[in-house]
Amino acid sequence: MIHPDPCRQKRPFFTFGTMVLFLFMGIGFAFGLSRLLLGLGAVTNLSDRSPWGIWIAVDVACGVALAAGGFTTAALVDIFGRKRYHSLLRPALLTAFLGYLWVAISLLFDLGRYWNIWRPVFHWQGNSVLFEVGMCVTFYLMVLSVELSPAILEGLRDRMDKGEWGAAILRWIERPLKMAYDAVRAILPLFICAGVVLSFMHQSSLGTLMLIASTKLSTLWQTPILPLLFLLSAIMVGFPMVILESIYASASLDRKPEMEVLGPLASRIPWFIGLYGLVKIADLIVRHNQLNFLSHPGSTVALVIEIVAGVLVPFILLQVPTVRQSRNWLLFSVLLVIFGVMLNRINVFLIGYHPAYMVKPYFPSVGEIALTVAIICSIVICYRFFVIYFPILPADGTNPEAGPDALRTASHPTLSPLLTWIFRGIAAAFLLFFVLLYAFVHKQAMTQSLKAYRDVQVVKARATFPAGNAATHEFRPAGYRNYYVLNSELLNSRSGYFEPVRFSHRTHDVNTGGDCSVCHHRVASDKNDRVGEDIKEMHLNIDVRLGGACSSCHDMTEKAPTACAQCHGLPNEADNPARIGLKGAYHRQCIGCHAAQPQGANAPTACNSCHHPLTPDHSKLVTLPSTASTRQVTERCLACHENVGQEILKTAHWNWKGMSPDITGHEHSVNVGLNNTVDNYYISMGSNIAQFSKFHIGSEVLGTNHEYSDPADIDCLVCHDSTGGHTRGGPAGGSLQVSVTNQTEMVGMLVGRPNRANCGGCHFYTGGGPNFEHGDLEPSLTKPGAELDVHMGMVDMRCQDCHQISRHQVAGLSFAAPALEGRVACEDCHGSTPHGITGFLSRHLDDHVRTLSCEACHIPQFAREYPTLMATDFSQAGKDLPASTNALGMPLYDRKFGVLAWGENVVPVYRWFDGTREIRMVGDKIQPTETVSLNAPLGERRNPLARIYPFKIHTAMLPYDAERKTLVAPRLWDGYWKDYDWTNAIVTGMKEMGLPFSGKVGFIKTEMYSALHHTVPPARQALGCTDCHAVEAVRCQRCHQKAEGMDQPTHTRMVYPETTNRMDFKALGYQDDPALIGGRFYMRLGRGRPPQ
Amino acid sequence: MHINRRNFLKLAAVVTGAAGASSTGAATQNFGTEPVASHVGCLVDTTLCIGCRQCEIACSTRNKLPKSDPPLADRTVYRKERRPTDTAFTVVNEYSGKPSPDQPKVKQTYAKVQCMHCLTPSCVSACIVGAMTKAGDGAVVYNPEICLGCRYCQVACPFEIPAYEFSEPLKPRVRKCEFCTDHTQGTGANPACAAACPTEALVFGKRSDLITLARDRIQKRPDRYLGRIYGEKEMGGTSWLYLVGRPTAELGLLDLPDKVPSHLTEAIQHGIFRYGAIPMVFYGLLGCIMWYNKRKEENGMQDKSEDLISKMTGGAPKGRAP
Repeated sequence: MIHPDPCRQKRPFFTFGTMVLFLFMGIGFAFGLSRLLLGLGAVTNLSDRSPWGIWIAVDVACGVALAAGGFTTAALVDIFGRKRYHSLLRPALLTAFLGYLWVAISLLFDLGRYWNIWRPVFHWQGNSVLFEVGMCVTFYLMVLSVELSPAILEGLRDRMDKGEWGAAILRWIERPLKMAYDAVRAILPLFICAGVVLSFMHQSSLGTLMLIASTKLSTLWQTPILPLLFLLSAIMVGFPMVILESIYASASLDRKPEMEVLGPLASRIPWFIGLYGLVKIADLIVRHNQLNFLSHPGSTVALVIEIVAGVLVPFILLQVPTVRQSRNWLLFSVLLVIFGVMLNRINVFLIGYHPAYMVKPYFPSVGEIALTVAIICSIVICYRFFVIYFPILPADGTNPEAGPDALRTASHPTLSPLLTWIFRGIAAAFLLFFVLLYAFVHKQAMTQSLKAYRDVQVVKARATFPAGNAATHEFRPAGYRNYYVLNSELLNSRSGYFEPVRFSHRTHDVNTGGDCSVCHHRVASDKNDRVGEDIKEMHLNIDVRLGGACSSCHDMTEKAPTACAQCHGLPNEADNPARIGLKGAYHRQCIGCHAAQPQGANAPTACNSCHHPLTPDHSKLVTLPSTASTRQVTERCLACHENVGQEILKTAHWNWKGMSPDITGHEHSVNVGLNNTVDNYYISMGSNIAQFSKFHIGSEVLGTNHEYSDPADIDCLVCHDSTGGHTRGGPAGGSLQVSVTNQTEMVGMLVGRPNRANCGGCHFYTGGGPNFEHGDLEPSLTKPGAELDVHMGMVDMRCQDCHQISRHQVAGLSFAAPALEGRVACEDCHGSTPHGITGFLSRHLDDHVRTLSCEACHIPQFAREYPTLMATDFSQAGKDLPASTNALGMPLYDRKFGVLAWGENVVPVYRWFDGTREIRMVGDKIQPTETVSLNAPLGERRNPLARIYPFKIHTAMLPYDAERKTLVAPRLWDGYWKDYDWTNAIVTGMKEMGLPFSGKVGFIKTEMYSALHHTVPPARQALGCTDCHAVEAVRCQRCHQKAEGMDQPTHTRMVYPETTNRMDFKALGYQDDPALIGGRFYMRLGRGRPPQ
Repeated sequence: MHINRRNFLKLAAVVTGAAGASSTGAATQNFGTEPVASHVGCLVDTTLCIGCRQCEIACSTRNKLPKSDPPLADRTVYRKERRPTDTAFTVVNEYSGKPSPDQPKVKQTYAKVQCMHCLTPSCVSACIVGAMTKAGDGAVVYNPEICLGCRYCQVACPFEIPAYEFSEPLKPRVRKCEFCTDHTQGTGANPACAAACPTEALVFGKRSDLITLARDRIQKRPDRYLGRIYGEKEMGGTSWLYLVGRPTAELGLLDLPDKVPSHLTEAIQHGIFRYGAIPMVFYGLLGCIMWYNKRKEENGMQDKSEDLISKMTGGAPKGRAP
């Protein structure tokens, strides 16, 4: 039969429909452009949980499946020779070509690194399914271009023959065009077969693609024959697509639908539907045990729809002849098949993809949908373009363009046989060349990729852990260090952000009761032994029961426990893989033990508690003008450290008052403060508050009605300047004289954790001068020798290492300042049996811990370098007595203060203190006949909470209201020191305080206590037994009758022979020396006689 | 176009020769079916992890990633279960409950998540250009230069590890732990996380040694560990191994089969396409059918045209024997 030749369609390209398509294309490609400019995340709903969306599932997977019309029709017409469908071939090839072309274009949007899309040509990864898909699709696109090129060339020929637009250019290349045309016709059979083979390959590989996600693909679709199912469904959808395209083209180009070919074509479709349906259902039946219909109900529904609507219904429909012959029913049926295949692809790639960590199910974004729609519209637009300008669709009656063309109807080639075979040979050689090129390039690419990763070197780090400083002790092994500074080069090489870790061996070994094996759990036989033997097991083997101090059996100078670093080195070493490294050993041992301690123990587990972070270099972070005021500096600090301002507003250092639960009568008060207490040095700070502003941490002058509420008033640098260049003076002229040297440099580079000089800038100078008030806070503590204070001198601890600071609230009970923000006790670090392995006396010394505070024995004297003020007689002030000085250069008389008395190397007085005390405030009633104690400690022998503490007592003669018998607050600056009139001064002062004054001044004896906690000398300078006890009381044989000959001079040593009667036992409530007559709570001597 | 037997045979010979040559590139070496003696790994002991997240910091520092947004002291990060992202190669997640039966006082268990460096990585098999490769020491490393950004590795990974820089428009990369392999120096696995862990809950070493160590720990402390090393066989074995004191499902570790998915896909691929044999046979078959139908058409057309001519001329057909 004669079939109508393909010809160009005489229809306008631009119609209303075309415009609509262009609109959608515009919208979609605008989103596409956004993707290129802003990234996938900005335009799509893709995420790490759903990396593939509709751009892969629809644009690529469905696109490739639905372009199957090309190879199926080519096989039908050119391989199986069914020439009756010849008129459908070119449109099918065009649809396929456009489909694959736009698949490639949509990939350019979906791929992250689209500019690398050429890489698979040279970088082969032969195991990858996607590689095979990619290469096949690329090759097939080339094949399709060749298969379509006759139509293109014929169209160009037509244009040239008819002299239309562009014909002149085309005539230039007329001969090459003809050659090309002939060559293409010659090699076409090669490519047709190649096209079918390639299509089979990639259609099936698309099915293999998702099998790699075997743990995530739904069991409903996960089958090893998925590639076969994809292939069969692709073949199944080939003819439906051709029918759809033909009917659509007829409708949009205003042609009669070619039902005389479409109908018979449609009769072939049920065979393929049947084959696919059979295989699919058979697969589901065979795998029925693996199927899980209930885990994802949505997937089950989708599968049912896919099978029913996509397979069963069209299978039935298309067997009915009326359906096949009716345009609308045929269209409906093929749409069902197409829908079924699209749904199948979407099911496999999206709906059936269930990653375990998916939180939100994927749904395409507007941009994704828009671009997909745009791609589809582009295909339609291109189709229209091609059918109008090139001979694709067959002629029909409405098209007068049809006419025989010499080129087309020639049944013999215009090429000679030789030339034909030359062209075929070239085509075959072309194939061969590509294969060889791939093989070569692939090998090279693989070698190069591997080369980068073949050479493996394992970097080994060597770490050294130097021990710290500190002297050896008697009764301890030679290698024993009291105190370690763990400064690991390894740690520092990774980050220089932390101070070295400080480890106090001493406090830990007393907490174990002298049992070294708690940490030193294995003992090495020699210095090369890095495995050792477990200590407990070893003692078990020799039938020795452990428990108690090692030194109770062993002479520790000879039997040193094995050092940690001797065995523990790097982790995972070959000779003993189970032995952890030093870092792991320290951390597991420390953190593990600390975590198991009871609540409230001072056992840190947080990283920063041991690894103190260094303050970063603020010069990189802060810029300030060199003339910045204190306020500006503070505002700059608060700009980053936002919460600190409010924190400080709640602290005692800022408010100079606070909670005072330790003060009897004021346990629930928050108002007892420096403003309203009485002291022996300036009588009352409250009435002179402005003059003390330089000791406040704010930059404003204090006044009676001072508002302590503006964070910008805080002077951060008082505590945080580590240069020592920040000084404060005044007030003068209404403001404080805050001076700094090189302010910006200082702020920039040397802001840091407070050091002793920061705290001491105020606290070492209380009472009017260096060490005047406290006695144990000497200015030399900024750089003390080891003998002055072990903590600050030998171990270089800062104030806040004991006075722990939390939210800028400083722990510590001060006898001068009433506010309490936490307590500090020696036991926090040293434990309650701190004498540990001191030797044979340790138990006796530990017995004292019930009764004596640590300070009592360990601070035998105070004011060891700077003299302290011991007495002030204000009643003698204002007179014209000579201002003589004593041997130490301290004034014995000062007109402002009266007669002064000083002390150096003073022996403290000892009092019971149970943690509570009294306070005297301005306006308190007093008994003039007695000595008034302004801040006496409370406690007595029989109170088990009380212990004996050392104190400094300063005595003074203070003015008081003789009539009302109350304590008063005189104004000194600009008051008494102006006219030396007590009455006027007190009137002014009391008026400022808002308290009444009778006008009558008297003088009363007061005493003020200062507690002693600092300037702790080394242990061998602590009190000896006979510094307090009688010599005859301290003989071992009084209890240990068999101990004759064991008395050692050290057992009865007296360290301070020049001090007699240091401890007044009777004043403390004892009948006599308790070592003679019996202890604190016992009627008998000691705890009874030892067993006979 | 004129196909006769001679022409066809020549054609077939040429094309089959081309196909045979294509076999050289078809099969590439499949790494990692068996653990090589020098393969390294890392053992995570979840009973020792204290959740300090130093591993995250060390990883971010070594790989020059941005610092994690809430600082370490902020424990509120643990409220949600996190996954590795394009700016965090590893995360630690918290699960309430004690890590093992012999730690009754510990209230939380922590588990670290990162690329498992499988012995037979699905991502390596999947990657279209081989941007994901398994290095000689067992680390799975990524080469962004040849990556297309197709994200098939994300689809393939059963542990859902590779993260993608979706926010980057021009040069997005796949981001994941690479065992701290230093591409510029050419040095191999040297994980910063294992070096940083203060309690040595992470132990880095040869995988075979780690298995021995893990079995040793299980045997010595049956009250502490469940008798299973997670990662020993899952998905064919991974380089990152986990010791657990409670069921792995409670620690966010997926219950995965021992089956290796890439074995199936590679079997299908190599089975069908090895040496290009089946496609070429199919090609030849199609060629035969095409030739046969062409012959039939020509004969048919000759018959038909002779019928037509005889009809038109009304005489006996010429040139054909009756």
